[in-house]
Amino acid sequence: MRSIRDAVNQVHFNRFRFWFQLAAFVLFVYGGYLAIDLGSRLPFFSCGYNQEGRAGVCYLLPLQHQLGRPWPMLFTAAGLSILTGLGIFVLWFIFLNKGWCGFVCPLGTLQDWLTALRRGLGIRYAKYSHGQFKQMTKVKYVLLALTLLIPLGIGGGLWSHDLSPPFCLICPARMILPAFTGDFSQFTIDFSSKTAVVMTALGMMVTALFVVGSFVKKRFFCFICPMSALHYLFSKLALFRLKKDGDKCTRCGDCYRVCDLEIKEIADEVGKRDIMTDDCTLCLKCVASCPEEGALKATFAGITIFESTEAGFVRRMNKGHQP
Amino acid sequence: MSRLGLYAAALMALLSTTVHCQDSGGTHRAEGGRPTGMAMRGNVLWLADSPPARGDGPPRSGMGGMGGMGGMGGDRSGPPVKRLWLRAGADPQKSGFAREDTEATVDMTLVTPQGKPEGEPLPPAEEGKKNLSFEMPTQGYYRLYHTTRKLQGDTLAIAVAKAEVTNFSHGATEEERSVALTAPRVLEAAPIEIVREKNPGEKLSFQLKSGEEQAFVVLQKGLPLLGARVRFVSHDGWTKEAVSDEQGRVSFQIVRDYFPSWDDFQKRFKATYLVIAEASAAESGRFKDQPYTNVRYQATLGGTYYPSPDDYRSYAWGLGLGFAFLLFCGTAVYLYRRRRVKPFQEVRFDEKH
Repeated sequence: MRSIRDAVNQVHFNRFRFWFQLAAFVLFVYGGYLAIDLGSRLPFFSCGYNQEGRAGVCYLLPLQHQLGRPWPMLFTAAGLSILTGLGIFVLWFIFLNKGWCGFVCPLGTLQDWLTALRRGLGIRYAKYSHGQFKQMTKVKYVLLALTLLIPLGIGGGLWSHDLSPPFCLICPARMILPAFTGDFSQFTIDFSSKTAVVMTALGMMVTALFVVGSFVKKRFFCFICPMSALHYLFSKLALFRLKKDGDKCTRCGDCYRVCDLEIKEIADEVGKRDIMTDDCTLCLKCVASCPEEGALKATFAGITIFESTEAGFVRRMNKGHQP
Repeated sequence: MSRLGLYAAALMALLSTTVHCQDSGGTHRAEGGRPTGMAMRGNVLWLADSPPARGDGPPRSGMGGMGGMGGMGGDRSGPPVKRLWLRAGADPQKSGFAREDTEATVDMTLVTPQGKPEGEPLPPAEEGKKNLSFEMPTQGYYRLYHTTRKLQGDTLAIAVAKAEVTNFSHGATEEERSVALTAPRVLEAAPIEIVREKNPGEKLSFQLKSGEEQAFVVLQKGLPLLGARVRFVSHDGWTKEAVSDEQGRVSFQIVRDYFPSWDDFQKRFKATYLVIAEASAAESGRFKDQPYTNVRYQATLGGTYYPSPDDYRSYAWGLGLGFAFLLFCGTAVYLYRRRRVKPFQEVRFDEKH
């Protein structure tokens, strides 16, 4: 048992994560061709517009459709489907917590690949100032509120159905993920109404911004992702956790430096045990980069499955070098 | 005679060509080429999901329907209820309510996904209502057959107006959907019927778009009918005729006939098409104690189609805008970074001062 634990803690983490993400990407972008269907309540961007290849559908799509029903319908038995849908989403979510973002989300994986491309080209990455970070982190809550409120307005007849589903229309996953299966139909502007023109044009602009932003800034889109905000509402229920033992932390700052989301609390906070913040994607790079024995750990249902060790740190740092 | 007989058809055109039927080969054959006197100028009966005054066009609230048609009614807490109207006339927009015909007999058969394959009689319409309605408690295809029989001289006219209504919701389980999708869509007892052929890869949320090809199969007692004259009538009344092949198959390209001003354009504009198939046979027998020597068959099937996305979506603008914004963002980032680069400046201290 001890040897298994050592092997896990000393794993070449980046390599493991790369293959895990690749497998998840293939599963959720091409799994539909193998008749895999994991439902329509998935807590990450397995885009529903990828009609042929998807192995499941991101929960934001059905949620917006359900909230867009006529108001009287929301208060009948049909409205219960919203609650059951939310329940299924939460059940999926609590299994991996925000690890869905760090390990499974195809859009997150694409951002990591763009980062790898930039690194390969020798272009330096961008960072936010502390003030910018504080502002950016609020955007996802605003987007989540709009994602929920606009469909309600549509259902109430306040706005056009051409606005539905509002977030999906501007989400880059709608354009990019179907393209991996040869479907480029979303790279269009819809001229059928003024609303449709605005929303599809906005979608194309956000997609362009996504590509440039993710190229220069690690996990650029995750800062503003409304799914990330929705996750955080239920993160207290999750089985998969990131924990920190402040007594063992030397505040060396390694964890902060490797964090794609630039979460400063991971290095500064030594009082709280549950260290996961709303921006965290649970990528566990902080755990892998920590040299202190047991200072950071990932647990599942209270059982430690991966923790920082000095041996693991040294092995990962010496990767590619002869001892 | 049943009160449902009040929905029977008015007069139909007489045929001038003899058509024979042969069952031995598993295919019915309508012979006699393309007789000029066989024009389908009679009063055509068909089932629509909207009454004449209401017309078609802009989308209405509701779920499912005939090939995705809306117009579903009923109490929201109960199963969805579909309403259909029997209309007379071969023009989807101009056809009115079917008139009562006391000389004709009428049978209405409803085939449900979980019911008997041969269907069950549909309860009569409520007093004072002109629509036929039925509940759709389960997922799948519902088919209503409205069959009228009427003697016209020595010819028995049999007209089968059919409607195929889909009821698929997001709440269905995968098993329910697969059962519903693979269920037969043919009524073997039907004297004649038209079946819309599913397109390759067709999904539950299928919508026929203008510009697409759509095939139909004409069946008689469940077997393909060769040589039936089939007419496709578009929403605006454009028509095209074809003759069914050995498989009973005939195919039409759905024309684009929706040309509003751009401000009035609606991408969810629901247009109605009508398919009419006719054939006749030298069959003799008795109907209401009267002899006949010929039988004329007519089948109708209504459906819906929508504007093609190619009419209102532009790749050129989409990709153009995307690349332009990509270029703009990339350039902005480059210039921002370049502006912040501070060139190295050597600072020399003059130790003498």
